[in-house]
Amino acid sequence: MSTIKEFLSSDHGKCDELFATMEEKATKSLKDAKKACEEFIKESERHFQMEERIMFLEFETKTGMTQGPTAMMRHEHSQMRSLMEQMKEAVEAGNKDKFFGLSETLMILNQQHNMKEEQMLYPMAQQHLSADSDRIVSMMESMIVE
Amino acid sequence: MDFNGLSIDQAPPISAPLRFFLAAPLFALFAGFLILFSDSGALMSRYSMESIVVTHAITIGFFGFVMLGALTQMLPVLAGAKISNVKFATKYSHLLLFFGLIFMLMGLLQNNTLFSSIAVVSLGSGFMMILIPIAVAIKSVTNFTPTVKSMANSITFAFLTVFMGLFLLYSYSTNNISELHATIANIHSVLGIFGFAGILIIGVSFQVLPMFYVAPKFKTFCKKRVVWLIPAGLILWVMLNIFNDTYALVAKLWITLFFWAFATTVWKKLNKRRRPISDVTVWYWRSASIFLTLGAFLWIFDEYFKHEYIVMVGILIGGGFIMSIVTGMLYKVVPFLVWFHLNAMGYIQIPTMNEMINKNLAKLQFILFIASLIGFIFSFYEPLLLEISAVCFIISVAILEFNIVAPVLIYMKIKKTEPDFDMKAFATKES
Repeated sequence: MSTIKEFLSSDHGKCDELFATMEEKATKSLKDAKKACEEFIKESERHFQMEERIMFLEFETKTGMTQGPTAMMRHEHSQMRSLMEQMKEAVEAGNKDKFFGLSETLMILNQQHNMKEEQMLYPMAQQHLSADSDRIVSMMESMIVE
Repeated sequence: MDFNGLSIDQAPPISAPLRFFLAAPLFALFAGFLILFSDSGALMSRYSMESIVVTHAITIGFFGFVMLGALTQMLPVLAGAKISNVKFATKYSHLLLFFGLIFMLMGLLQNNTLFSSIAVVSLGSGFMMILIPIAVAIKSVTNFTPTVKSMANSITFAFLTVFMGLFLLYSYSTNNISELHATIANIHSVLGIFGFAGILIIGVSFQVLPMFYVAPKFKTFCKKRVVWLIPAGLILWVMLNIFNDTYALVAKLWITLFFWAFATTVWKKLNKRRRPISDVTVWYWRSASIFLTLGAFLWIFDEYFKHEYIVMVGILIGGGFIMSIVTGMLYKVVPFLVWFHLNAMGYIQIPTMNEMINKNLAKLQFILFIASLIGFIFSFYEPLLLEISAVCFIISVAILEFNIVAPVLIYMKIKKTEPDFDMKAFATKES
């Protein structure tokens, strides 16, 4: 089974692919991108919840750090959720300029967020939670999005 | 493990990088005017005072300012390293470098030894005030990725470049030019361009190309080797240059080979990128790739022509490669920082990144910049082209400054209004 770090990092890659597909479709027509946009948002939400409801909780319980990095990551998730909402509205309104302006911002926000997680938080989590790694990964895999 | 980069209130304040970004085009503007009013013959020699002043207005004033500003921002994100006392370090180093550089440029132009002496002290302390905290921050990094390694190498070369530069400037301030002056100047320029700027750009591109454009990642093999193969080539070149000049070409070929490989890789990665957008930043990466290839080959070619083409090499690599990349990145970084800091303060209704900078103006800026570079190169054969190229360059840099100021004004305007949300609850000091 993959480690927490491998599992969540590869999930970032999956979301990046969906993001690229969404933008590719949106270049042709925003209407065509609607489904891809929904799919990207759905997968991103799933990723956020896997972290917020499972991994972050485990990390916080183990380390006692509730106001540290995980709080910051939760905050950035909320920033991204807000951008995704606005992107959905831009797709509905057929506003291509707005959509690409938002997707550009989301892209950079998302990438710098992922980088912090992959280079700092995940290795730290893996180190603290290595004994429970398999259990946590399987919980994340089987999680139902709320 | 250091989590400082993960906390917004410990990330550098927006003023840290912005003060450097806003000042940079002003020095490029100065360089443009100096080219416009200089004799074309004087600019064709790398050792004329005009050439030295233009070069340093661009290399310290533009590249140096943008790269140092960007490092304060990139270190927490790319390396998880926090620069201690970043506000103090950036504020005062910026002041010292800004006025130090003005004194240096004026001192050299007017052969004013007092100005040059002030510049030695001011630039020396300004560089140390920012380079030392950066070096200390890098030293604290535990996850030493190829990007962090390249940053460490780049900063080492920055120290060497600065020390040599200070020695050279001190020579002018005392009117005591040593026999080794030309050799040191040559080493100083190569280490500054390829060692500091070149290695930093390569290291950052490992992260930035996949990140901004969803381009394929660089191969681990390349990343791991390149970060020490280029410095090794540079050290070899320095040694040969001092002790056995006849074989210096071997090391030159070594360095060129890797930079050319990098240029080709960038081009190929961009072709395979998953993001369909083709904005001015992509154009800048592509132009950088072309100019770097041409510049690298001309650098070798120049060896057989008694260094007749060295100024042209400088234009291709300094202007075409480094300035292209640095300008392109400013177009991404400045609007993002404005958005990011405003959003973190609780503002929701913020213009998107694309709305902050007028796309057409950015395109015009790019076209004028590239036209000016091509003009500068051909002005070696047709001096009349120099003036028109200088005018293109000046307008292009003025537009660039406008394009940086525009998002900053948006930031200042929105900051005066009430935030949509009170974000104080998110302020975390724990790490």
